[in-house]
Amino acid sequence: MNRRHSAFTLAAVALSWLVSPTASFAAEADYHHVHLTTSNATEAMKWYTEYLDCQPLTDRDDGVDCFGAEVVFESKATLGSSQRTGIDHISFSYADLTAKMGELASVGVRGSGVRLQRFEDGETLREMPGLFKHGFIFDPWGTRIELVEDPDTLGFHHIHLSSTDPAATLNWYQERFGGESARLRGQADGLRMGDIWLLAMQHEGGVPAATAGRAIDHIGFAVASLDSVAGELERANVQFLEQPGVPDGGRTSAKRAIVDGPDHVSLAVVEAGFAGVVSKMAEVTDITTELRDYTVPRTPWGTPDFQGVWTGDASHGIPLQRPDDVGDAAVLTPEQAAARRERGTLGSIWGYEAEWRDTTLGYVKSAPSRQVAMIIDPPDGRIPPRTPEGERLMAEARAARQPLPEGPENLSSWVRCITRSLVQTPGVYNNGFQVMQGPNHVAMQVEMLHETRVIPTDGTPFVGSDIASWRGDARGQWDGDTLVVEIRNFNGKAPYQGSSDALTMTERYTRTGPDTLEYRFTIDDPKVFTRPWTGMFTYVRDESQYELVEYACHEGNYGMTNILSGSRSKEAEAGR
Amino acid sequence: MMKRQKQLLAMAAAVMVVILAPGIAAAQGEAPRAFDGHPDFNGVWQAIGTAHWDLQDHPAAAGPVDTGAIGAVPPGQGVVVGNTIPYTPEALAQKQQNFENRWTDDPEVKCFMPGVPRATYLPHPFRIVQGDKKIMMVYGFAEANRTIHMDKPERERAPIDSWMGRSHGAWDGDTLVVDAEGFNGESWFDRAGNHASYALQVQERYTPMGPNVIMYEATLTDENTFTEPWTIRMPLYRRLDENVQVLEFKCVEFTEDLLYGHLRKVPTR
Repeated sequence: MNRRHSAFTLAAVALSWLVSPTASFAAEADYHHVHLTTSNATEAMKWYTEYLDCQPLTDRDDGVDCFGAEVVFESKATLGSSQRTGIDHISFSYADLTAKMGELASVGVRGSGVRLQRFEDGETLREMPGLFKHGFIFDPWGTRIELVEDPDTLGFHHIHLSSTDPAATLNWYQERFGGESARLRGQADGLRMGDIWLLAMQHEGGVPAATAGRAIDHIGFAVASLDSVAGELERANVQFLEQPGVPDGGRTSAKRAIVDGPDHVSLAVVEAGFAGVVSKMAEVTDITTELRDYTVPRTPWGTPDFQGVWTGDASHGIPLQRPDDVGDAAVLTPEQAAARRERGTLGSIWGYEAEWRDTTLGYVKSAPSRQVAMIIDPPDGRIPPRTPEGERLMAEARAARQPLPEGPENLSSWVRCITRSLVQTPGVYNNGFQVMQGPNHVAMQVEMLHETRVIPTDGTPFVGSDIASWRGDARGQWDGDTLVVEIRNFNGKAPYQGSSDALTMTERYTRTGPDTLEYRFTIDDPKVFTRPWTGMFTYVRDESQYELVEYACHEGNYGMTNILSGSRSKEAEAGR
Repeated sequence: MMKRQKQLLAMAAAVMVVILAPGIAAAQGEAPRAFDGHPDFNGVWQAIGTAHWDLQDHPAAAGPVDTGAIGAVPPGQGVVVGNTIPYTPEALAQKQQNFENRWTDDPEVKCFMPGVPRATYLPHPFRIVQGDKKIMMVYGFAEANRTIHMDKPERERAPIDSWMGRSHGAWDGDTLVVDAEGFNGESWFDRAGNHASYALQVQERYTPMGPNVIMYEATLTDENTFTEPWTIRMPLYRRLDENVQVLEFKCVEFTEDLLYGHLRKVPTR
């Protein structure tokens, strides 16, 4: 068991907005900033500069100036998109929105791209009668952004509060922070704060989620006297999330307080001169390399006890093979780890809706692994050379791939809802893994595709070699604290990295701490690989927020119908 | 070996006699005990009989023409206590419609998860893994499985409706009592089209009748479908075959032509 000490840092970014100093209105308070959460300040600055025409802030490395409004980013793990919170979105206005949206649509969603939210008719823009043309995009960290074509207010346009009682909410803000009551084009109730609109609309469907920790974390107001405003808020029984004071890492001596406003919108109240905080990535433990004194618990019948619900979430994004661009680094930096997971996540989630993203994505719930690659043997982290037969099989598999599949068997066993993979490489969602033990068996249930393997650990012999199957025949034995599982009799129809029916796979499960389970897999397939090779990643136990739900894949496999009918229709178009 | 099987059959016959008597009495032979003193259900189990064809009394009948005698329906004595399923008139009409379309509409035909209680008496074995925290039932058909939460005395609502529902269990003496709910209403109970809605609640009782037989009872309650609760009862037998395992039966690929054959480049349907 080679485990190393290491430490690891949680990536975190947040974004805040500062209104132009020229904005003025007859109130004791000024609208000051909106604070968004991302995972990479540098990347976020680049994104808002490149796509929404903001400018980097002078003397700051964590924010941008958007048409007089400052947007500041703080590195922090995000708890999900802004959608369906009390601050559903923010808005920018362009004189030629069709051109702007066309420009953004051409960026694409990969990496730190631009995600478009389409209307029911598939279009990205729609005319709002009596108002203007509008559409929605998301930044890569989950802030929903409305783009409008309002020639009266170009640049940063409004903040959209989603409220259970919009009129009362606007009154609440006006009483404390000023602004003029106004109706945007005589239609939408709001407050005019300098050049910026604070709009409040009826929240549809239940109660808005709290903003703290979400993509738009809070909005801020600057006041002349924080003490007097704080006193008033206290008398009004408003809950303080942060007491007035100079925050840790504050760039100036200006004080800040954070309160829980209407609809659980977090509000920062700051003194004049407040210039944000210098944030540091928090130090957290790297799950993959932590070594602790740990005694593996035992079941009542004396074997190591692995039972519980585990997830591979924290290991999502670790590539199988060592990439070329990391040199000889033993582990990634926290920033690299955060960026890597985000790239993996962003490339996968573009088609999904808000509730799903906000509640399901593993990446919001645990720190990303700093492990460089899964393969630990051979030591170069690369799959060993293939045999000539292995090369031939790979070429055959490549040739069999068709842009327009003729039938289900041209698609992967995953798409067919038969089995996902021999190795449960953590993905962007449904990485749950439940272990249940009896005296002579270990049951392992994999959430995605709801497969359960029951592994005898009592010396029961393997079944006959003619009984081949997709997941093979597994037998387990205890090696000290480790469960060693040998799997044979694969039918070879769900190859892992080109493996064949000659594969023997060995898995080793070891609890390395109360909440960590190290998983090693060895691929030994002499028909395909010139030597066996081994990969490793770590599961984290998370029963407080994780329960396996039924992943009924085949029962709802509309994807298969759509892929095949789409292919037939494309063939018909092409006259084939 | 032959002798052992004969003994087993004799024992099974004895159990059958017992269940015909009112109530359930303990049969001869002690059930094995788990480390904690409860009955030990660890093992591979299977129902024998024709409940998977029809829960109620049914005569022999033809199956799909081209499968001849293999596909024919064997006659069977029902497992419904009293033999009557108390359907509402609308639900009975639905059952009859299901029956008419059974060769295409039955979720079993499509390799969909069977739901509860059907998973128990499909003609496939299932394994019970019983430990100190939860009990898992891993069925041979369609990769279906259930986690019986024995460790949650405060019962939790199903997070979402599903094919296999959510199950909480507790011991009533030597009987394992499982309450299952949170179903999606898509499941059938047999190949005859018996059915229920998402409001279905199933209370199952697993009572040891000796080392190799469990008496299985399930009481089904669903106000949308039935005018009153009703009960099925049948024995489950331990599979004593040497080295018996619940083998992987991924039936999805065997349904692909049925479900998608019309969408192939060269249609097969």
